[in-house]
Parts: sequence; structure tokens; C-alpha cells
Amino acid sequence: MALFVVFQTTFFLTLLSLRTYQSEVLAERLPLTPVSLKVSTNSIHQSLHLQWTVHNLPYHQELKMVFQIQISRIETSNVVWVGNYSTTVKWNQVLHWSWESELPLECATHFVRMKSVMDDASFPEPNFWSNWSSWEEVSVQDSLGRGILFVFPKDKLVEEGSNVTICYVSRNIQNNVSCYLEGKQIHGEQLDPHVTAFNLNSVPFIRNRGTNIYCEASQGNVSKGIEGIVLFVSKVLEEPKDFSCETQDFKTLHCTWDPGTDTALGWSKQPSQSYTLFESFSGEKKLCTHKNWCNWQITQDSQETYNFTLIAENYLRKRSVNILFNLTHRVYLMNPFSVNFENVNATNAIMTWKVHSMRNNFTYLCQIELHGEGKMMQYDVSIKVNGEYFLSELEPATEYMARVRCADASHFWKWSEWSGQNFTTLEAAPSEAPDVWRSVNSEPGNHTVTLFWKPLSKLHANGKILFYNVVVENLDKPSRSELRSIPAPANSTKLILDRCSYQICVTANNSVGASPASIIVISVDPENKEVEEERIAGTDGRFSLSWKPQPGDIIGYVVDWCDHPQDVLQWKNVGPNTTSTVISTDAFRPGVRYDFRIYGLSTKRIACLLEKKTGYSQELAPSDNPHVLVDMLTSHSFTLSWKDYSTESQPGFIQGYHVYLKSKARQCHPRFQKAVLSDGSECCKYKIDNPEEKALIVDNLKPESSYEFFVTPFTSAGEGPNATFTKVTTPDEHSSMLIHILLPMVFCVLLIMIVCYLKSQWIKETCYPDIPDPYKSSILSLIKFKENPHLTIMNVSDCIPDAIEVVSKPEGTKIQILGTRKSLTETELTKPNYLYLLPTEKNHSGPGPCICFENFTYNQAASDSGFCGHVPVSPKAPPSMLGLMTSPENVLKALEKNYMNSLGEVPAGETSLNYVSQLASPMSGDKDSLPTNPVEPPHCSEYKMQMAVPLRLALPRPTENSSLSSITLLDPGEHYR
Amino acid sequence: MKVLAAGVVPLLLVLHWKHGAGSPLPITPVNATCAIRHPCHNNLMNQIRSQLAQLNGSANALFILYYTAQGEPFPNNLDKLCGPNVTDFPPFHANGTEKAKLVDLYRIVVYLGTSLGNITRDQKILNPSALSLHSKLNATADILRGLLSNVLCRLCSKYHVGHVDVTYGPDTSGKDVFQKKKLGCQLLGKYKETIAVLAQAF
Repeated sequence: MALFVVFQTTFFLTLLSLRTYQSEVLAERLPLTPVSLKVSTNSIHQSLHLQWTVHNLPYHQELKMVFQIQISRIETSNVVWVGNYSTTVKWNQVLHWSWESELPLECATHFVRMKSVMDDASFPEPNFWSNWSSWEEVSVQDSLGRGILFVFPKDKLVEEGSNVTICYVSRNIQNNVSCYLEGKQIHGEQLDPHVTAFNLNSVPFIRNRGTNIYCEASQGNVSKGIEGIVLFVSKVLEEPKDFSCETQDFKTLHCTWDPGTDTALGWSKQPSQSYTLFESFSGEKKLCTHKNWCNWQITQDSQETYNFTLIAENYLRKRSVNILFNLTHRVYLMNPFSVNFENVNATNAIMTWKVHSMRNNFTYLCQIELHGEGKMMQYDVSIKVNGEYFLSELEPATEYMARVRCADASHFWKWSEWSGQNFTTLEAAPSEAPDVWRSVNSEPGNHTVTLFWKPLSKLHANGKILFYNVVVENLDKPSRSELRSIPAPANSTKLILDRCSYQICVTANNSVGASPASIIVISVDPENKEVEEERIAGTDGRFSLSWKPQPGDIIGYVVDWCDHPQDVLQWKNVGPNTTSTVISTDAFRPGVRYDFRIYGLSTKRIACLLEKKTGYSQELAPSDNPHVLVDMLTSHSFTLSWKDYSTESQPGFIQGYHVYLKSKARQCHPRFQKAVLSDGSECCKYKIDNPEEKALIVDNLKPESSYEFFVTPFTSAGEGPNATFTKVTTPDEHSSMLIHILLPMVFCVLLIMIVCYLKSQWIKETCYPDIPDPYKSSILSLIKFKENPHLTIMNVSDCIPDAIEVVSKPEGTKIQILGTRKSLTETELTKPNYLYLLPTEKNHSGPGPCICFENFTYNQAASDSGFCGHVPVSPKAPPSMLGLMTSPENVLKALEKNYMNSLGEVPAGETSLNYVSQLASPMSGDKDSLPTNPVEPPHCSEYKMQMAVPLRLALPRPTENSSLSSITLLDPGEHYR
Repeated sequence: MKVLAAGVVPLLLVLHWKHGAGSPLPITPVNATCAIRHPCHNNLMNQIRSQLAQLNGSANALFILYYTAQGEPFPNNLDKLCGPNVTDFPPFHANGTEKAKLVDLYRIVVYLGTSLGNITRDQKILNPSALSLHSKLNATADILRGLLSNVLCRLCSKYHVGHVDVTYGPDTSGKDVFQKKKLGCQLLGKYKETIAVLAQAF
């Protein structure tokens, strides 16, 4: 102890003596002046670099000193910066210090000087500033080289939002220099005649390729050149977000973060920001190779607590974020494995799984999710390593998906990923009776019952329904039940039952068993009740039905209807205490009529029809218009009728009809109202409110007027479709009267004509016979005109027609047969030729009584022949000769002419004559009486007249006028009886 | 051996230049023999004409792609920033003999080749997303290499010229970004102008 005290005293004495010595030495050498100041420039960083030494510094001694530095620009008096720099100085040490200039160093000359003071606590006050060093001038303008314009700083990297000063140096002050930032002119401050500086405040980030800033030197309008720089503006480095670390295996810490904006720039001016992970307890650092995550190796098992600092850094800025945590609180488990299901039955299963072991005595919290039938159930369970959970209350025959995830139960950090698997429960017997309904068609002697049932829901089927059992039991006559098995998925069956009561039981069956039975009873007379149908209106595709409650024991009600157009029977069960329901289904279609029947179910399961209702879920306007007939058209009215129009098969209840009538008259008829059609035209409208009234008498019309009508039905939704109007024109007022007169007249005329036609022969014979009555003939007047006193008319009945023969000349003169052009040869002419004018009778085959006469002025040969006999006239014989006389004019002319010839002009030399029988003269003018159809006189007793006719006249050339050639001469003077 | 070192090697260097070729390098002809590795094609002149036409056809598109990618003020100040004011650009005498024209062409292609190499390198760094420009620059450099080979073959086989003094394009590695953009634009403007004359001359 004494030794220690002695040592301590000696130490303090020594120290005190040393201190005293130092003070004496320094006091002698003060002040300490900075010397050898040298200033250099760094164009890249736009900084001045100062280096100096301190004179008079004691050997091997360190002193804390403060250096005050002054920096002037352009001239020494223009001090732009003054500052102190404190440091510890050693003997003979070269000191360095840098100053970054906001103005590019190339644009101005800088001056630097400094002074110093000792700031060491070991020396007491007072301390004195040294003298200023001399000004050091720095100028780089001289090294710019050739060129008329320079812009600075080159390729400067700044942060978005910072302030930047740029400048240009123009060699020629005559040049006018304009500078632009991205095409927009900027204005600056002239530092000297050659230099102008521009302060750009809060520069924006435009692109990572840099921002072009350029200046153009010009004289007048003549450009002397453009020079520029590229300013690289970096986005501001953001602080990493959501920084966290966790481990899955206590070997590696996985740290993640959101890096934010990438601050990388083109031209390699600045790469993406780097991230460094630093752990303060261990002092370890790791440069991360990824921008948003980094792995940290856990090397010391004993270290439980970690203090991480994530440092983001680029050329301009550094950001950091820190987290402190206990390793066991950052356990992110790997997802469980070996997920299995054991003892799976219809409603239960056991789920097992395993967890990756972390450390001993680790407790895990696991969460189980069970998905099935659209539902999700969640269970939490705490386990050690092997997990197990009993899943109960499952639905039979259902596929489930179960998954599990786990976390550290002691310090929950986050759940692991899910691990899951599917499983299916076993089937069970259906749990509910099928919903059964029936429709009954009663026929003489039996009922046709169609049973319908709805498929059981998956919830109640408990498996796949394989078949349905239908058991039919006669309640009136105890007998064996009849069982029918109908394979699924059928949902109906048809039964033909006699007129007895039957009980029908229906069960659904799957592979495990049968469902409870659904029972329905068919009574003897199931549908005998007459129920009046009531109309209802649906709204929004729904029908609201209500009915009167039924007295007695009712176990429920059933409403059934048919879906259209499928015509599938649908039904709905309603409880016994309910007397209304709403039928709503997507199957309801607008414009379709639905018929609802409401049944009450008795305790004996017998259905009794209570009410019928019919309606539309939405009424539509009629889809078609009736076909209208117009009846009883008169001059003042007509009747429209559309009896065939069916009001039942319409898309709405027909409420009546609208009859539209158009006429030229402006005024509507009584009972009609004015209406405007969709096309804007006006017409008259009549409304019929009774849908069964399908006729309308439109009266008070004008005769001979045109009307147009159009009939359309209407429902609550509107009228039928537009159609064209039908035109009706009323007849004339007297036309009916005329019809009443004209029709009988026409009938009478027709009757007369028919009679005339039927009695034409009689009429002919009576009115205009073929052989006219000479006494009535017009010839008589002629004869009278000739004043023949011996007028005698032959009685036709006494006359026997005969032939007249005409004999040709014996000299063989060529003779033309009348009506023919055939020439007779001489040989032929050696025999007398005869012309038969009138046959004695038709088809006369033999000689008949006739009278022949001779005239010896005729050809002798002919007379010699003594031929006298009847020669029948062939029907084909030419009637030309006879035809010559058919015209009365010809007759008259002939008479006038030939009469004279016959008396005096016949030449003596004529040796041949023709004779014409007057019987052959059709003086009556009846053409039909020509020889083609000659009258058959019974006798030809005498020849009335004969006369000689020159051959020239009698046989004219065929080419001559027939009026001349066809002459029949009747000379009264030579008329013989 | 000296012959190889003094004559063939520089030629091979020129044929296989890399990006960033340096300042003008005069190659002094030595009395060396002309040596080529492969026999020249019979139809060399046609191939040369075809390659010149191909370059001439794509020069303007390359020029437009380039100055568009540089941003303002380049597209609107082509005459001031992209004028063909290229120093040391080898001259071309269109009225000379075929041999003289081929020698001139050789010098020009070497100059353009090195310059395009510099431009391609710069643009890949400055405009890494301008893929169309990069593709066009590479395609042009490829054709220039083929043209240089053909010109060399022609000179060697017909005129026995084994050595040509050449100058390279300016080295831009020490320049600031704006100067690189400007020099590249000037070079491509000069290229567009020259290649039209060359295509016409052959």
C-alpha cells in the first residue's frame, strides 16, 4: 500500500513538471501559422482541394487547432465562404481539406486564405489567431482550350429537387448567348463579361438518361455554335419499407424489405442503390446482392437478440432502417407435411399431419380449415410435432378439402403456408322422404295416376340415389301390395288404377338404404269437384296466391301448375296454417298463361281440389289480330265479324277489341270516338269491352263511299300489332233495286233462249220454212210489177221437185261445168251432159217420178238421146249454179237484162241453150235451202217455166263476175203451167 | 517476319477493329507484299457497289434514329449540332482512278468503322433502352466490315496494294456526355453525306 502511494505521488509530480515545461515552450513559439498553402481543383466534384502545414509545431506533439478558411470568387474582396476547420495537428503533418463549390470552378477564379488558432484544452487561455496566409488564386479558365463557348459543369450528378448552378464561358463578348433547359430558355446572372451563371432551383427528374442543357452563341441571327452539358438528376433515395427478418430453421435469417424507387441513371452515372445489412451485436456486415431481400447466416446459437440496420446507399444519399428482435419471436414455420385422413366414415374422419421440428419442447399452434358443400369451418389445435384432429359432423357422401397451417405457439409471428388434401365421406341412407305429387286423369272405369317426385337434395340423399320404390296398396280391397322399382334419375311414373282408393308409398334408395316413405292416397273420385276458375295477375314474374281456409283436418296444401313450354308439372307444399303463398320461379315467361290448382291434403293423405286460378306472370299485348269478315254490305252499313278469333291462346287476357274506322268524312259516326294512330293519322275508334262480342255493325254510312277499318284486340298490356286497314266501299243506293229487277229479267231471257233453242226446228218450220210460201213471197210484187195477168202460184205441197238437165252442145264445144273448172274432152262430150239442179230426194238411189220436158231448139243429139230419168245429185256436186241466184239483186238484174235478150237478142246462130228450173231458184233468199240441203218435194209433176239462155250467159268464164254468170231468167212471157 | 509485323498485322488490326479504337494511327507502307487469307471473289466491284448502296439506303434512317434518341436540342438543331464538321475525315476524290478511289474508300471505311464503334459503345451505355438504334448501328458496322474486306481484296488482287495510311475516328472516351452525343451526331451526319457520294462514285 505504501509502495502504491509512493508510486502515485511520483507519477503526479512527473506529470506536473512535464506540463510546466510544455507551457513554457509553446508560449515561446506561438502563434502557429498555416504555411505552404496549395490549392488545386477537382473538376469532377467541382471542389477546391487545400493542403498546408503548420509552422512552429513542436516536435512529436499533437495539438488541436482550428483553421479559419476564407474563399473569394473573382476577386479577393468577394468572399463567398468563410468557415472553420478543426483538427488535431501533428508535427510536420500536411493537412488536407476540400470545399465543394456550387459554381463550376471553370467559370470563376477563386481565392483562398486561412488562419489558425490553437484549441487545445491542455493550454490555458488566451489563444490568439495567427495572421492570414496570403491569398492563393485558382483559375482553370486558361486550360479550357480552343472554342468560343463552354458550358459547365459537365455531367453533374444531382438529386431531384436540389439546386444547381450552371454557367457558361464565352470567349467573345460580342456573341449573344442563350441557354436552354429541355428546350426552355433560362436566364442567369452575369458574373463578368465572359461568364454568366444560372441558378436552377429544385431541378426535376426528367429521365434517367440525363437532361440536356445547352447554350447557343450567336451574332445577330448567325449562330456561332451550340455547346451543352448533360445534367444527371437522380431520384431521391427512399428509406426501405417493411423491413423484417424471420427464420424457418434457426440457421438462416431471411430479411426482406420494399426498396422503393430505383435511383439508377444512364451512362453509368449512378447504379441502382446498394443495400447493406449490419448487425450491431455481432458487428457483422453483409452487402446484399438483391434489392429487396437478403439472407443472414446464423452462426452463433447463443445469440437470441439481433439488431439489424439496413442501409440503402447511392452516390448522393444514404438511408437506413433498424429492427431489433429476438430470434425466437421471428419463427416462420415451414408448411406441415404428411397430411392424411384416417377412419373416414359417413360423418367423421381423423386428420393427421406433421410439423418440421424446430427445437426441443417447441409447441405449435395449428389451424385447420375444412371446405365442403360451399361451407368453410375452421379449427385451432395446439400440438407438439405430430398433429391430429377429429373432424366430426360431416355430411355423408361429401368431398371435403382440409388443410392445415402452423405457427410458433409461444410467440406467434406468422402462419406457415397451407398443406392440404381432399377426402370423401361414406354414404348413408337418405334422410328425408321424397317430395311426391300426382296428377289424375279419370277415365271410365279407371284412373290414370302420374306420380311425380323431386330429386332429393344432396343434403338429404346422403349418396347417389339408385332407384325409387313405389308401393301401391288398394285400400278398398285388401290385397297384396304392388311394388315398382324405378331406376334413378327418373322422376315420375304412371299408374293405371281402377275405381278404388289406393295408398301409394314412394321411397328413395341409395347403396346404403331407403329413405322414409312419402305417402299419398288416391280416392275413388279424386277430381270430381267443379271449381270455378279465378283470374289472378302476376307481378315481377311471381304469383301471389291465396285461398280460403278449409274446415276440417288439413295437414297441408299443395299448389300445382305446369311449366311452359316444357309442360312439366310443378308443385309447392304449403303448411296447414297457411292460406297464401307466392309462386316464384325463373321458368315463368311473360305472355304465357299459367293455371294453378290448390289442393288440400287431409289427414288421410287425400288431396282435394279447392280452387283454380289462372293468370299471366306478365301480360303482353296480343300477338295477332283477328281475321275480320265483312258481311251484309249495304249502302248504309256493313257488319264486321271475327267469330273465329280465339281469346284463350293469347299472351294476355283479351279485354275487348278496338275497331278503327277511316272515312273521308271528318266527323266520326255515333258510338265512335276520334283517335290518332301511331303514324299521326286520324281515324274513328270504337271500343268493344266484351271479348266474346266478335261482331260489329257499322251503320249510318253513306252510299258509294269508301271506308277503311281495322280491328285489333287489347289486353291490359295494350293492343295487337299494327296492321293495314281493309277497304270497304258502300254500294249505290239504287243498285239493290236494279238487282231485284235485272236478275229476273236476265233469268227470263235465258229461259226464252233455252226454249227457243230446244224448239228451234218447230220455230223454223213455223216462221221461216225452207220452202217459202209463194203467196207470201216478194216475187209476187215483182210479178205484179210486170203486170202479168196470169199470175199463178204453185202450191208447194203439190210440187214434186225434179232434176233439170242441161245438155251441152253436140259440136263438142268445150263446156265448163258450173262450179268446176274441169274441161270435158270431146269424147266425153259426145254424150249429153246434164246439170242436176235439184235432187228429187236425199240419197235417192233409184229413179223416181219426175217430169221431163223437151225443147227441140236444144241440141238434137241431146234430144235424140231421149234420156229422161232421175239422176241423183251428188252432195258433192258443185252448187255454184244454184248459188248464183242466192242474191235477190242478182236476180233482179238478170231479169232486167236477160229478159230483153230472151225476147229479141238471141242470135239465130245459137245452137245450144241452157235451161234453168225455177224450182232451183232460191227466191226466198234462204241460203240454207240450197241443194246442199234441198227440200224434198213429194212430186215433180210439171215444169213451170223454161227459157233459152245463151250459153255465153249461162256458162260464164269462172273468172268473170259471178253476178253475170249466175243468171236465172224467169220470163213471164214464157211461163208455162 | 518484319514484313508481317510491319504490313499484314496493321491490316489485320484494321479489319478486326474493336470498339474504342484510338487516335489516328498512320500506317506507313513498307515494301511488303500484299497478302490475303482467302481468294477474292470475281465479282468484287459489284459487291462493293451493292454494299455501298445498302449503306446509302440505311444511312438516313440511322441518322434520324440517332439524333432522336439524344433528345433536345438535337432534333431541332441539326445544322448546328450535327453538321458534318468532322476533323481529320479522309477525303474522297471522285475523279481519280479506280485505284485511287478504292484507296480513298478504304481510308473512309476505316475511319467510319472506328467512329461507329465508339458511337455504339457510348449509346449502349447512355441509351440502354434504344434497342432499335443499337441494332441499326451494329448492322451498319457489320456492312462496313464486309465492305472493308472487299475493298482490301480488290486493292490487293488487282492493284497489289498492301498498305494504306489510315486515320481513325476521334476517341470520345474522355469527352463529356454532351460532347459524345454531339460528336456522334456530327459523325453520322458526315457518314450520311459521304456514303451518298461514294455510292454515286462507284
